[in-house]
Amino acid sequence: MSYLRIQSLGKRYGGVVALDGVSLEIAGAGIYGLIGPNGAGKTTLFDCLAGTTAPDQGRVWLQDQDVTGWPAHRMARLGVARTFQECRILPEETCLDNVLFAAQPQGLGGNLLQMFTRGPGHRVAALDEAMRLLHLVRLQDHAHAPAAELSFGQRRLLEIVSTFMAQPEVLLLDEPASGVNPSLLQVLGDFVKTMMAERPRVMLLVEHNMAFVMDMAQDIIVMHQGQVLERGSPAQVQASAKVVEAYLG
Amino acid sequence: MPWMALLMLLGVLALAPWWAAQQPFVLHMLVTACVLVVPAVGLNLMLGHGGLVSLGHMGFAGIGAYVAAVLMVDARWSFGGAVWAAMLAAGAAGGLISLLCFRFRGHFFMIVTLAFGLMLHAVMNNWDSVTRGAAGFAGIPRPTPVRWGDEVWSFGPLPHFYALALAMAVIAFALQYLVVNSNFGRSLAAIRQDERLARSRGVNTLLYKTAVFAIGTALAGMGGVLQVSFLRVAAPASFTMLESINMVLIVIIGGAGSLVGPALGALLYVALPELLRLSNEWRLVIFGVLLVLITLFAPKGLAGLCARAWRRVWPPQSQTPAGAKP
Amino acid sequence: MTEALLEQVINGLMMGSVYVLVALGLVLIYGVMHVVNFAHGVLFTLGGYLGHFFFTQWWDNYWVATLLSMLSVGLVGYALERGVFRPLNGNLRNQVIASLGLILALENAVIALWGPNALQWKVASTEQLVSLGELRFSVHHLGIIVLTMAMITALGLFLKHTRFGTAIRATSQNQEAALVVGIPVQRVQWSTFALGSALAALGGCLVGPLFLVFPQMGDVPLVKGLAGILLGGMGSVPGAVVGGLILGVTESVSTLFLPTDYKDAIAFMVMVGILLFRPQGLWGQRVRGEE
Repeated sequence: MSYLRIQSLGKRYGGVVALDGVSLEIAGAGIYGLIGPNGAGKTTLFDCLAGTTAPDQGRVWLQDQDVTGWPAHRMARLGVARTFQECRILPEETCLDNVLFAAQPQGLGGNLLQMFTRGPGHRVAALDEAMRLLHLVRLQDHAHAPAAELSFGQRRLLEIVSTFMAQPEVLLLDEPASGVNPSLLQVLGDFVKTMMAERPRVMLLVEHNMAFVMDMAQDIIVMHQGQVLERGSPAQVQASAKVVEAYLG
Repeated sequence: MPWMALLMLLGVLALAPWWAAQQPFVLHMLVTACVLVVPAVGLNLMLGHGGLVSLGHMGFAGIGAYVAAVLMVDARWSFGGAVWAAMLAAGAAGGLISLLCFRFRGHFFMIVTLAFGLMLHAVMNNWDSVTRGAAGFAGIPRPTPVRWGDEVWSFGPLPHFYALALAMAVIAFALQYLVVNSNFGRSLAAIRQDERLARSRGVNTLLYKTAVFAIGTALAGMGGVLQVSFLRVAAPASFTMLESINMVLIVIIGGAGSLVGPALGALLYVALPELLRLSNEWRLVIFGVLLVLITLFAPKGLAGLCARAWRRVWPPQSQTPAGAKP
Repeated sequence: MTEALLEQVINGLMMGSVYVLVALGLVLIYGVMHVVNFAHGVLFTLGGYLGHFFFTQWWDNYWVATLLSMLSVGLVGYALERGVFRPLNGNLRNQVIASLGLILALENAVIALWGPNALQWKVASTEQLVSLGELRFSVHHLGIIVLTMAMITALGLFLKHTRFGTAIRATSQNQEAALVVGIPVQRVQWSTFALGSALAALGGCLVGPLFLVFPQMGDVPLVKGLAGILLGGMGSVPGAVVGGLILGVTESVSTLFLPTDYKDAIAFMVMVGILLFRPQGLWGQRVRGEE
């Protein structure tokens, strides 16, 4: 029984074919790198998995449940969390509030009731964990500052911390290293490894920074022109002639 | 700390019938401000907190007004019952209409809300058999007098009606507070700042936006009932596109998204003609110019300016430990 | 029956032409600056008032008065673009809010200066009649249709075949690319704003002699113009033309079947109805993803 199964996923935008029959099986917890030249379809694959967009063909199963075409908020409730290539955080909220929001229950009925019952709720229970995570990425001093004040690299860290805070079963990180300077990158890498060690789960990591992804992932999937080109360990993939040609050809 | 200021303000307002006893027009102004502030709070929730710019808000106030008018005059309902019915009708209409509007984004959304406001106005203006048409629906009573033991509290006299209006305004603000400082309010804020992000965190944004729209229009309905009970007449001219624009103006000038913004905007709106002794038209010209200036130079409105001034006089205790961002 | 229908169709084309003039101004400005100028209606009104002013106070030549009005309102448009819309570039919500403030300021300034009552603008063409079969229309009625058609053609030629027109089209498609290619985007923006405003003023001058000049005269044309560009597809010039005409004809013809009081509402219901099935409008493009 595979944890995540993708079968013949297809997606086109007007005349552009972004996904051209992608099939993939993820057996269980671990970090899986997803690499490929620009236009290979990596972000589109993420969009289909996270529910940001619906595929035109194909199916997606999460632990034997067919989740094809489910909208983003349902996928999130199911435990699929993602970061964005362009890095999205809530700029007007404090860093702490950003992280706490990820742990907030989001059912409308429950929240309408909570307006009147006003229990201490999730914020108190999650506060310690939120501060711990902020400490791990060295953002604890900014806990009460608006997220808009952070540098880009710090925002990436905040986004990733918030994503982990939601206790997801499947994490989709879209180019988390891009735009991050080397020292913060070290913090980011350590944070991810720590969290994955504390609680193993499925993580898909799209990256162009080869050093970063080869270090983090144990299984690399290479995409090219909307299809899966190659899959294997970092060493195998780096040695593959097909992969080299896809990047340079 | 702001609580103290708020309680003081409330106290001053509650005592208005006494310190303004020699100038009944002040009480009249304050009642008008209350009548305006209730829908303004609703619009503030939609626009300021939820980021939904509705240009047809007063159309829903009209729904509340006319539903209450028909119930109170034709069916002899009490004021209390009519208020509930009006809020329900306006809220339900708002929820349903918003579902249509949410199929559009940005400018489109605003234009469609404008169109619905105009359609509602057309119904009010032309459905003569029910709404009495352009001439207006006259004969709307003040709320029935309330009995306390031997005392009878009638709402005819201005100070008595003012008490009711102030109470309803306070209720509206209380509801706003409950919404904003709750999970629901935080999800709304997230939707306003980044809807795609909110969705990826599990927020069913369509449902939440519909909910806040319904709450906002229900408050508009409440304001509508208060207005027509005060004026004793319901007229379509109170619920036109220009009135909806006035409402947006009150919310923005007061400070969209702030808790006190609607109050500041409404008070300025009623007080300015008195302060400047101007004709109605020039007052509105100044408001229009003020709105443009505020969007250019002070996007947080009066509330933002007050907050800035407040911070200069009382710098906040630093909440962050040493090493905070400069 | 067909006579009544034909009469309403021609009425519809006339009103539709006015909506088209408003819609064209809106769509040109939207294309080049991605802002919907809600104050466009008051520019229409201002055009009517200034036309009346020039006609009664300077020279009672209708064409001269109209031209002067268009020039003046064009100048106002320029001032608005420089002073209000350019500084708010990129902030959609604030631009819309600012334009709402302009509506309030300008419409009430008109009332304060000219009084709340309607003004009469007596022009010869409204009194001369023309026969089309059994039907009679004033020269003015038909003139509106003819003039608008001429305007549309001239505008189309201008956009397609002149350098500046091409610059406008380029800026509408991709502002950054236009900059890179050396197009003076800022100049394109303020001159398009001025042009759009002048078109609105023309609408006001055409309608003024027919239906009186009054402070709210631009409100309904604004909303109809907005409906027209939504219907035709935001950013599409042919869409604006077709949208405006469809609206005009639909609402006129509807008076044959429905109480005339609901005429205005009909236009919106048609618009909302069509947009439900085709949210991008008749000519519009579906934009990928982003909200």
